Amino acid sequence: MASPDYLGEFEHIVVLALLRLEDRAYGVTVRQEIELRTKREVSIGAVYATLDRMETKGYVKSRLGDPTPERGGRSKRFFRVTAKGVAAVNRTQKALQSMTEGLSLIGRYT
Amino acid sequence: MTSQPYLVQPPRIAAGLVNLFTSAKEAELIMGDLHEEFSQLASTSGLAVGRGWYWRQALKTITHLVFAAFRTAPWSTTAAVAGGFMLRRLIAGVPEHAIFAVLERYQVYDHHFKVYAFFASTGIGIGHVFSFLFVGCVVALAARGREMAATTTLSLIYGAMIGLALLVWMTERPGHEYYLWMLPWNLADLFAIVIGGAIVRMRRSPANTLPSGA
Repeated sequence: MASPDYLGEFEHIVVLALLRLEDRAYGVTVRQEIELRTKREVSIGAVYATLDRMETKGYVKSRLGDPTPERGGRSKRFFRVTAKGVAAVNRTQKALQSMTEGLSLIGRYT
Repeated sequence: MTSQPYLVQPPRIAAGLVNLFTSAKEAELIMGDLHEEFSQLASTSGLAVGRGWYWRQALKTITHLVFAAFRTAPWSTTAAVAGGFMLRRLIAGVPEHAIFAVLERYQVYDHHFKVYAFFASTGIGIGHVFSFLFVGCVVALAARGREMAATTTLSLIYGAMIGLALLVWMTERPGHEYYLWMLPWNLADLFAIVIGGAIVRMRRSPANTLPSGA
């Protein structure tokens, strides 16, 4: 039996950002959402590399938007999480919860 | 007052570099996103902050794309880099042979010594730069879609070798400045590899070469 696929750390963060943003999820908003919540500077290249990888795996789908002047006449690509992607998030969340259950991490190594 | 942030243009060199390192498919999205955020930032925090942010994002994105090229297509990218390294070894002596063959053919040493001296020193240096440019073009042709990642990696490998050679030379022969004289030529060689990659990349997608509006 093939083992179920878990999301990598950054994949997990990106999918959660997509779920939060719903139909407003594209490169800029995803990057800003991650920076706002994780307080870590993320490059747009990293976001797209992860989104492309997850689209190949079938976890996300995308559609092209219209070109806009504030983007120098370029289009944006909107992303949304598929049912397969939601299942992968749930699987990863459960695995993490199961691994951290019973551990009191706060203050342990500080 | 109505602001028109989209009239502000991002740094052209940074935008051009991002454009070179991204595939045609990625370029539209990544450059559009960078442009949009830059415009927002420039209108709220000032042009200098916006430009600084754009450069940071551009460099991080380029670094990420170089690593991503090796992650997504490790064998073909590595093969292109290794092939370029071997090709360079194969053609390493060609500039000297060609230049001296021409100099001897026309007996330049006997009739025009200054010209001979120029070609026997600077001419060889220029010949090597062109040979590295050729290698860069071949590597880029082999690494389709990852032209800049492959040529930048090859250039960094040669850069590391030059740094190591310089260190050994300075340790073993202090006081000899021959290698320092060669250093500008070596740096030009490294640059030529990347320029070769950029030429092929630009030839492959001329419509996406220059940042729009720049």
